[in-house]
Amino acid sequence: MSPVVIGIIGIVALVVVFLLRMPVGFAMAFVGLVGFSLLVSPEAGLNILARDVFQTFSSYSLTVIPMFVFMGCIASASGISRRLYEASYSLLGRLRGGLAIATVAACAGFAAICGSTNATAAAMGKVSLPEMKRYHYDDSLAAGSVAAAGTLGILIPPSTIFIVYGIMTEQSIGKLFIAGVFPGLILAGLFIITVSLVCWRNPSLAPAGTPTGWKEKIEGLAGVIETLVLFALVIIGLFLGWFSPTQAGGAGTAGALLIGLVRGQLSWQGFLSAVKDSLRITCMVMVIVAGAIVFGHFMAVAKIPLILADWVVSLPLPSMAIMGVIIIIYIIGGCFMDSLAMITLTVPIFYPVVVALGFDPIWFGVIIVLVTEMGVITPPVGVNVYVIKGIAEDVPLETIFKGIFPFLAALIVMVAILMLFPQIATFLPSLTTY
Amino acid sequence: MSGKIDKFEKFVNSLSNWLNWVAGTALVAMLALIVADIIGAKLFKWPIPGGIEVVGFLCVVVIAFAIAQTQTIHGHIEVEFLVTRLPQTARKVIAAIIYCLGMALFALLAWRSYDFGRVLQVSGEVSMTQRIPFYSFVYSIAFCCIVVFLVLLVQCLREVTKGKK
Repeated sequence: MSPVVIGIIGIVALVVVFLLRMPVGFAMAFVGLVGFSLLVSPEAGLNILARDVFQTFSSYSLTVIPMFVFMGCIASASGISRRLYEASYSLLGRLRGGLAIATVAACAGFAAICGSTNATAAAMGKVSLPEMKRYHYDDSLAAGSVAAAGTLGILIPPSTIFIVYGIMTEQSIGKLFIAGVFPGLILAGLFIITVSLVCWRNPSLAPAGTPTGWKEKIEGLAGVIETLVLFALVIIGLFLGWFSPTQAGGAGTAGALLIGLVRGQLSWQGFLSAVKDSLRITCMVMVIVAGAIVFGHFMAVAKIPLILADWVVSLPLPSMAIMGVIIIIYIIGGCFMDSLAMITLTVPIFYPVVVALGFDPIWFGVIIVLVTEMGVITPPVGVNVYVIKGIAEDVPLETIFKGIFPFLAALIVMVAILMLFPQIATFLPSLTTY
Repeated sequence: MSGKIDKFEKFVNSLSNWLNWVAGTALVAMLALIVADIIGAKLFKWPIPGGIEVVGFLCVVVIAFAIAQTQTIHGHIEVEFLVTRLPQTARKVIAAIIYCLGMALFALLAWRSYDFGRVLQVSGEVSMTQRIPFYSFVYSIAFCCIVVFLVLLVQCLREVTKGKK
């Protein structure tokens, strides 16, 4: 059998073991090991397994992941998510659908200090869902808005997906981070427009909240300052070359810890729970990355990425049409696969194609994050939806998915905007040298 | 039989929980080291010697020691939607097969990590600045893989004996 055929069988086998509920990281490592052993030798396969795992776990460039995850968990335990929500509510709560709009705004704010979609959705969901219930918001709008706005966590920097993409494609994490700023803000705006349109069509879904006075508004805004300071410390520090990405994550975590201690809001139990959450998320991400690296070695010896790139480039189609096909593959794949798994599996395959077609790798990184955002909220495998389900246990999954669809449309509009105006993502990185 | 599995499960769970505490301590140590390195480098022009390599080693501890507990709480991402729609017997058979594949993976990883550690120990490979031996961290991965193997074994036994008295 030729290496390419073994490679294709490997991809099919991987999808099968995914569907049979083998943990994603384990499945990639297992299929990668078997495939590499078949193509090279069992001895080489076993050697590469042990080496890849040790090198991934001890890689300094990957230590950025635990630090940014830890920062998000500490920020949540320090009450920063609550204060952001209160600030957004004091400004926007009186509008129809104001609580959902405030949730989107607060998620955008929290995304600036947290790099994970499910951590953002969990942190804001815990704060905003009970409030929306209290004001008799429709369950699907309430849950859908948090699940969707939680996805801003990976577009507005910092972002675990940008980090993983940057490491896999050897692109600057700093440039990727800054590339997400404008698309993130525009997407937050689109989500707010979506809430307004949904409420305009059916006002009974979201009653208007109580108006707040100027005093409350100003007090509320004080709760945003700490987030701005943390964001500035991390992102400006990164761009001025004060910190490496790992140090930026460490400085941000220390800052969040300090805020929690100074405000007296971070209890010992809260700290321990933040450590445990960070371990779980970090471990889950890093096991997938290690598995993907083993699988990537198998794909490399099977020459799949190379052959696919050559084939796609030779297709008599405009490059934008090929990009459209790649995006559709990601959207469909994201429905059935975990997003991180999807990225770690497909980026090594599609990245050479994208580069050969002449697209900007940083722009493609932003596109990847956008399609990942769709993946985490689309049925049947929408991680954010399960996170929200864990918080709002009485809301059926179908109701949450129903609430997601308008936001999905906003994400599709955002992808289209970015395809038409790539400068939205590439302008800021072009100004930086880091 | 069930009593024996209970005892075994208790032992394995407490072991993975203990390892998780080690991982947590390493995470906090990692943070402390990074902050100390920043302060040292920016304020006193004296970065911690070998700070980068120690952070890398601590990261090994953070991840390797947390895998077992993450598996205990089913924290590793799994794709559930297909299997949950199958009849119970089919689910049991599939779960048993998948657990066995997972056990095989971690048994092989434990074995080869041990071998890799031996190679590094014999060749005397150490980190460049602090001269910390690599092998101790590779051995720690091997040990953690054995614990993950045990966690998967317990979960497999639980799945197979589910519903039996």
